[in-house]
Amino acid sequence: MGNYQKGASGGIPVSTRVFLILLGLLTGISVAALAEVPNDVCADCHADIVEAFSGTAHGVYLSRTPGAEASCEGCHGSAVDHIEGGDPAGILNPASQDQFGASLLCFNCHRSMGFDDWAFSAHNAGDVSCAGCHAIHSTEYVKADEPDLCYECHVEVQAAAYMPSRHPVREGKLVCGDCHNPHGGPARLTADNTGRELCFSCHAEKEGPFVYEHAPVNEDCLICHNPHGSVADNLLRQTEPSLCLSCHPMHFHATVVSVDGDFTTPQAPERAGTSTSDGWKQGMLTKCSQCHTEIHGSDLPSQAISAGGTALTR
Amino acid sequence: MKTINIILYVGLVLLLAFSVVLAEDNETQESTILWIGSHYVDFSDYNKKIGEYLCGEDEWIPELELTYFSRSDNSIFRLDGHFHDDKDIFADARATKGDHFRLSGKYRSFIRQLGQDLLTNVEAREFFESTGNPGGKMLTHELLDPGADYDYKRQEILTEVEILLSRKNNIRFTAAHRSVLKNGERQAIANNHCFSCHLTSESADVVQRSHQIEAGLDAELAGSDIGYRFGYRVFESDAPDPVAYYDPAKHPVHGGAGAEFSSRQVFDDTSVAYSTLPRTEKTSHKVRFKRDLGQGEFASSLGYSIAKNTITDLSSEAYVGSANYAVGLSNRTRLVTRGTVTMLKADDPWIDLPTYRGGAADLNETDFDFTRYSGLDRWDLRFSAEVISRLSPRVVLYVLGGYDRVDRDDYPIWDEGTQTDKFTGQVKLRYRKGLRYSSLVKYRFEKTSDPFVSARGLFELPGYDILEPAVPVSPWIFYWQREDLRYQSITTLPTDKHVFEWRSTYRPSERYGLTIGLKGKYDKNNDLDSLDVQHFSLQPNLNINYTPDVKWTLAAGYTYSFDKSKLPITVALFDG
Repeated sequence: MGNYQKGASGGIPVSTRVFLILLGLLTGISVAALAEVPNDVCADCHADIVEAFSGTAHGVYLSRTPGAEASCEGCHGSAVDHIEGGDPAGILNPASQDQFGASLLCFNCHRSMGFDDWAFSAHNAGDVSCAGCHAIHSTEYVKADEPDLCYECHVEVQAAAYMPSRHPVREGKLVCGDCHNPHGGPARLTADNTGRELCFSCHAEKEGPFVYEHAPVNEDCLICHNPHGSVADNLLRQTEPSLCLSCHPMHFHATVVSVDGDFTTPQAPERAGTSTSDGWKQGMLTKCSQCHTEIHGSDLPSQAISAGGTALTR
Repeated sequence: MKTINIILYVGLVLLLAFSVVLAEDNETQESTILWIGSHYVDFSDYNKKIGEYLCGEDEWIPELELTYFSRSDNSIFRLDGHFHDDKDIFADARATKGDHFRLSGKYRSFIRQLGQDLLTNVEAREFFESTGNPGGKMLTHELLDPGADYDYKRQEILTEVEILLSRKNNIRFTAAHRSVLKNGERQAIANNHCFSCHLTSESADVVQRSHQIEAGLDAELAGSDIGYRFGYRVFESDAPDPVAYYDPAKHPVHGGAGAEFSSRQVFDDTSVAYSTLPRTEKTSHKVRFKRDLGQGEFASSLGYSIAKNTITDLSSEAYVGSANYAVGLSNRTRLVTRGTVTMLKADDPWIDLPTYRGGAADLNETDFDFTRYSGLDRWDLRFSAEVISRLSPRVVLYVLGGYDRVDRDDYPIWDEGTQTDKFTGQVKLRYRKGLRYSSLVKYRFEKTSDPFVSARGLFELPGYDILEPAVPVSPWIFYWQREDLRYQSITTLPTDKHVFEWRSTYRPSERYGLTIGLKGKYDKNNDLDSLDVQHFSLQPNLNINYTPDVKWTLAAGYTYSFDKSKLPITVALFDG
């Protein structure tokens, strides 16, 4: 273990230390003397971390900035008690801190980087500290790439990502951060805080407003879709027609009795087909969107006046 | 946007980013990784939908991957690129200079395969009920492009910039841009619905563009953070609208009564566009305010946005206000409150339809014109308060209560409001012993009254009210009388929801970690007129991490997901 001098005060508070470093950056006054325990002392036990840190953005920035020093104590506070007693609890470990202290340390420097809503975010409330996701001692910014990093906690989302229908996260075409803001607040490039807005930021063609609406599109996209993955096509929560029949009456034509055999249409002989005894059931109870194609809304009326043109078939 | 424009655009961003680095005179650290490879995909057992986003050619395709990293005293530049094939490209460039300049640009493309619905289930003919012979109603389909392989290429360009304009008051300018481009072919299906039900499928071009910009200023003034954001988004389609010929209306068997059947249609015997897309513009303004208040932190925002369908001249507006406050009640307890109020309002157009059976000899004309009230119109209130208390150095207790209200003005279409109230309670307990052991247990309960239901489904116009009780004249056509049976309350949404979660992590050393957890959810709706709704899901999971050094992490995990739903579906009532 290397030599060091214990400060008379037993260690300068981290916030004061960070303030002085920032002051030094602005004024050019060296604050190197603040480091009571040199990094090489830390390296006696944590050689790999100290070595790796010198190559990180933090390490390079601090070491090359006049007046600053890439000191371990810059973030961990005084290491004196830790070295004397060897107790891990004798030094501040941001990774083990909860919302009562940990992230505030980082915000001493990272103030204006889109963290305005952090205090109210689900991650902060859940005690996910900055070090929970970010690799402070590595040249990488985060501990793992998306989505693997997120899957460490959000396992149910990982499971959904393996469903047959999904957003192409598993294929690496999208990442969690395209929809979610891990630092709190609305997602990037969303105009307002409504849930629909997030979906429309990519699926803008479905926003309307349309002349003929489909009520759940106004209400919540999640009524019909599971954005993380589903068994049914198009991220639907269930296959058609079950999903549709959960809200809508079954088409009465489904009960029409069918003829077995080939047929042609009297008024259009070129239209031919082969009917089975279940033909009308198959036609009307397989996939509603074969006819109701404009299910998210339409500006054009459907044919039947008695339905007010609202059938979303055109 | 043509490919050349995309290349030029990305190149411009890269040039700007490079200029940041090249402007540095000091020592620069650089690293470059170039990976060259190839791939081959065999389609001997090709299933298109499983490969919705996985496509390739059954030939060897060269593949490139590039990472360039440069760092000087005060600047960082990073470029990541991956060329999988000409349809699947990714590039990401990021430049940072001190704390006063950030620029990033991203381009990515991929193919989404849509497949073609062959409509083979649409073939049927009915019996004449009276004679038992083949009758008049027929169901047929026609594929005009039977071999078509529908897909589109999605390209996205995203750029963001942040510039520190002044250290005094920390004035920052931020701007972002995103373009989403889709090009390809899709299946368009026209639905003829008169003397026979006939679906016609054809290819339609996909040429869709969505461009979005956002710009704003942030500053610190008098101890407060304030900011303003402007946003604009336009969506448009450059593809020609598909056009279909719709049959002349007539009796399905004898071909007569054309005038009578035609008088029941909005249009017939004509070629008209179908499956069209709107052109929409959305403009938004948002101001935010944040400052320390008492011992806590207060943040609020006010937003306004208007979306316009420029083809139909319809618009919808959103007013959003939020206020959050977080305060330390003691050195062991925090209170976090969150509140949002949203008001949505959309235009209510008058739908002017031809007179039903107009000119009919029996004077049984009916006017179906109506005002289409928008189901979007509503007030939406959300409020929650969470108390977080550190019971001991290792134990933290979270207690959350929330209340949401959705007050709909017009629901779902006609002028009649409904209201949904939801109460939420959540208790969470976390135990943490340094980095060695942590455990979390959570229970959440939601109680909802009158969740969203689709009261009248597709038959949303007030024709029901018009026709009843004056219907019985024509038992051949109208089945509205029995609609009440169909329009009982029905929904998939629950009134009671229970969520349970447990997760424990054990790290015997810095190098090893084991996490085991269980998530469960049960919800139900017992307030429906007939059947109950129930959902149940369970997800146990196990994760193992091994970190031999700071450069390596090996992880393995297993998650089992079980979902089961019990939902009502309607049954058919035939009276035609």
